[in-house]
Amino acid sequence: MTEEKEKDAHIVVPEVEEKVNKLISQYKEYSVSEFFKKNRQMLGYSGKVRSLTTIVHEYVTNSLDACEDARILPEILIEIHKLPNGHIKVVSEDNGIGIPKEKVGQALGMLLAGTKFHVLRQKRGQQGIGAAYATLFAQITTGKPIHIKTSIGRKLFECDLSIDVKKNAPVIKNEKEYSDHFRGVKIEAEFANVEYNEGEHSVYEYLRRTALATPHAQITLVKPDNSIVVFPRSSNYIPSLPPQVKPHPLGVTVSDLMDMASASGARKISSFLVNDFSRASSVRVKEIQKICPNIDLNRAPSTLTWAEAEELVKAFHSIKWIAPDMDTLQPIGKENLTKSLKALLQPDELAVVERKPRVFMGGIPFLVEAAIAYGGKAGNQRKGGAEIMRFANKVPLLFDAGNCAITASIKSIDWGRYGLKNFEEQPMTVFVNFVSVHVPYTGAGKLAISAEAEIVEEIRLAVMECARKISLYLSGLRKMAEKTRRKNIFFKYITEVSESLHRITGRPAVEISEKLRKLAEERTGLLEAEALEESTTQKKKKIGSRG
Amino acid sequence: MNKVEKKKSNVISDEETLKRIDTLGKEILDEISKEKNPHIDIPVRGLSNVLYNADKKKIELGNKVAKRYLFNVAHARSFMQTLLVAAFAKELISEKAHTTLRDLFYALKHTIAGTKENTINEQNESDSAIVDLEVALDVIRENLHLAANPKGRVVGNVKIRDSGDMINWSKLGSGGWAIPSIVEQIEFVDVDAEYVIVAEKDAVFLRLHEDRFWKKHKCILLTTQGQAARGTRRLIQRFSEELNLPVYILTDADPYGWYIYSTMKYGSMALAHVSDRLGCPRAHFLGVSMTDIDKYDLRAQTIKAKDVDLRRGKELLKYGWFKNKLWQHEINLFLEKKYKAEIQALTSKRLRFISEVYLPEKIKAGNFLP
Repeated sequence: MTEEKEKDAHIVVPEVEEKVNKLISQYKEYSVSEFFKKNRQMLGYSGKVRSLTTIVHEYVTNSLDACEDARILPEILIEIHKLPNGHIKVVSEDNGIGIPKEKVGQALGMLLAGTKFHVLRQKRGQQGIGAAYATLFAQITTGKPIHIKTSIGRKLFECDLSIDVKKNAPVIKNEKEYSDHFRGVKIEAEFANVEYNEGEHSVYEYLRRTALATPHAQITLVKPDNSIVVFPRSSNYIPSLPPQVKPHPLGVTVSDLMDMASASGARKISSFLVNDFSRASSVRVKEIQKICPNIDLNRAPSTLTWAEAEELVKAFHSIKWIAPDMDTLQPIGKENLTKSLKALLQPDELAVVERKPRVFMGGIPFLVEAAIAYGGKAGNQRKGGAEIMRFANKVPLLFDAGNCAITASIKSIDWGRYGLKNFEEQPMTVFVNFVSVHVPYTGAGKLAISAEAEIVEEIRLAVMECARKISLYLSGLRKMAEKTRRKNIFFKYITEVSESLHRITGRPAVEISEKLRKLAEERTGLLEAEALEESTTQKKKKIGSRG
Repeated sequence: MNKVEKKKSNVISDEETLKRIDTLGKEILDEISKEKNPHIDIPVRGLSNVLYNADKKKIELGNKVAKRYLFNVAHARSFMQTLLVAAFAKELISEKAHTTLRDLFYALKHTIAGTKENTINEQNESDSAIVDLEVALDVIRENLHLAANPKGRVVGNVKIRDSGDMINWSKLGSGGWAIPSIVEQIEFVDVDAEYVIVAEKDAVFLRLHEDRFWKKHKCILLTTQGQAARGTRRLIQRFSEELNLPVYILTDADPYGWYIYSTMKYGSMALAHVSDRLGCPRAHFLGVSMTDIDKYDLRAQTIKAKDVDLRRGKELLKYGWFKNKLWQHEINLFLEKKYKAEIQALTSKRLRFISEVYLPEKIKAGNFLP
């Protein structure tokens, strides 16, 4: 892995950091494992099914990012095995650039490591709580270390890894090093208190949706019954890396600011702000100083306290900024999304929309990609009916749908207008990917996007644009069905009519019905033309009456 | 007894009906040969096409005609049903057989080959197909050998021949002759009567029959037992038109009774197409009228009018055939006094009051409503 890569693997949600930082500063001997136990829920380890999904999520996001940075087409293998003792063994393997031997411990055996390094680039890893937590979870629930096999292309390195929770330090055992052709990372870990199923919140669903949002990845799942599901690669195009940008002041949280301050090479807080943030100038810093007269901005950034950081963030939001750069957004792209939805859902009709970037919270750019797939394998495959797929920066959001801006937007649409009354029962998948450097999550768990007015409206517009296309398709279908229905009605009565006419006139019924059948064929087309004509004259009338 | 003189009636012969059915079939075949959308012309039966003809004193169908096409999604099914009925009627007539609407429904109801659909689901479908055919051919269902439910009884000094049997209406005991649903075939042989009394209520018929009113006053006595059935209406019409007898109608003194009267006289809105063959424009309303209530001191026998009665009364005011001074006065009187009276009021006053006082007086004086 590159430097960046492994740093990224350890980024945690700000709220969690905040808590941890506070606690660590208060109790030197604070046990991280205790912290973990207390905050499982926040970290995604609540509920047996969800815990397993979280573990897989950590591994898969790391793998995808590891491939993307190195322009490799990802091939990811996830195996879930049920062991006789009831434990579940997860095997995760990728073809990424691998982790250098000396970085393995830091990447997977240290909690809250690397948070000092911030690269504001739109990343999946932003979502991750960190694969190291999976290591800890294995350790807590089964007492066993995880097994790692990795190579950056030269020698293969294998070891068992656990965490010394008191020191928050990796414990590496059974190291082996030998030559092999393997490149990438393979992790084997055993967990208890987890469960596999194929419901809405499952590993299966998570991978299915990840595959959708990552058309250039090939993801294979080996289920506990040894059956294999392949979510095939539908595009060979690897998205270009989003440019690195300095964070915009409107997009940072208090803990972000603390992290950046402690890592900054600047001598003063004022120069730290000007150097490390985009759109920040000495003029803006002077404005900030006016708002926060009690903070001495000539101090070293590392002396910044939490309370001061809070005050600064508040100040950021009260002054005007030039909006952040739009180029930082990295959508899946209309073409790739189309390919991947077609491949995975094989819909009868598909509408894909990529909207232009907009801003929320006064300046943070975001972009919405939406799609509706209708018919085929679209829709909820287990229960039937419609399915909403939510994504933030290509990462599926499986939990807390009720609080999400995406759900709110979709529910607010009058689906009857698009011929999709009873939305819940339609065989369709509504796909929404929210793209932004800063995703305004509703809570620490990064489960749902906050329903900011600008965001809800933008998602609505995107989905409605898709719905229009689907509605056109459906009305076409209805016309076809209507034509067939008409013909069927005519054909249905021909026998009876011919028989009656035979009884009245004495002419052979067969002769009459043959003529009628021929007429019916011709008439069906003719009637269609008449109906069309009729509807246009009606429209004209309406227009006329208005005038 | 007077020998009955044969008068021209508007009876349509079976041959004529058959001819009309054949013509309908041929016209359709013709259209098929010309590759046109086959259709049947069916006069519109809705209220929009029902008119009151003040000259002829008849509720009539207007001249709006709807074309029913086979190749029209909305028409196809009823087009098929109308033809089914036509073919069935042709066979009935050819075999000189009659049947009821119910029997026709069962005879024609079957599953359409290759579908799960029935030719006819409910009897109301075949009933309306029958009416369609009636108006399309300008015949009545009796011409198609289809019978409605019979209702109504008659007594009097009359001899008739019905399907070869000679029947004397004066010798049928207390029940009188039950009027069949089809009376086309009846031949009046001997008629010794000066007028016809039609009572809406069976009870009045019973009273007058027991009092031998028809014998004493040389009349035909008939009850419709409520709203008059088609056979009964046709019979009354034949009394009026073929025998030239005045017809006096007796109903309750309320809007429903008066509407029953108007139906017999002018026809009804639902059966406007058969007014010609069932209406009796020369009938008179004998009673009970609102003025009778005062005149014969029947106030004690009245009943308070209900809201529905008053509403119906207001509707009657608007009908063309009630738009004459006398009726408007009567109905307004009713709306004003807000009470009504049954014909039985006449008997409850005194048992033989109706046969000994009311009827003779009214008929003698010619005290009728138009």
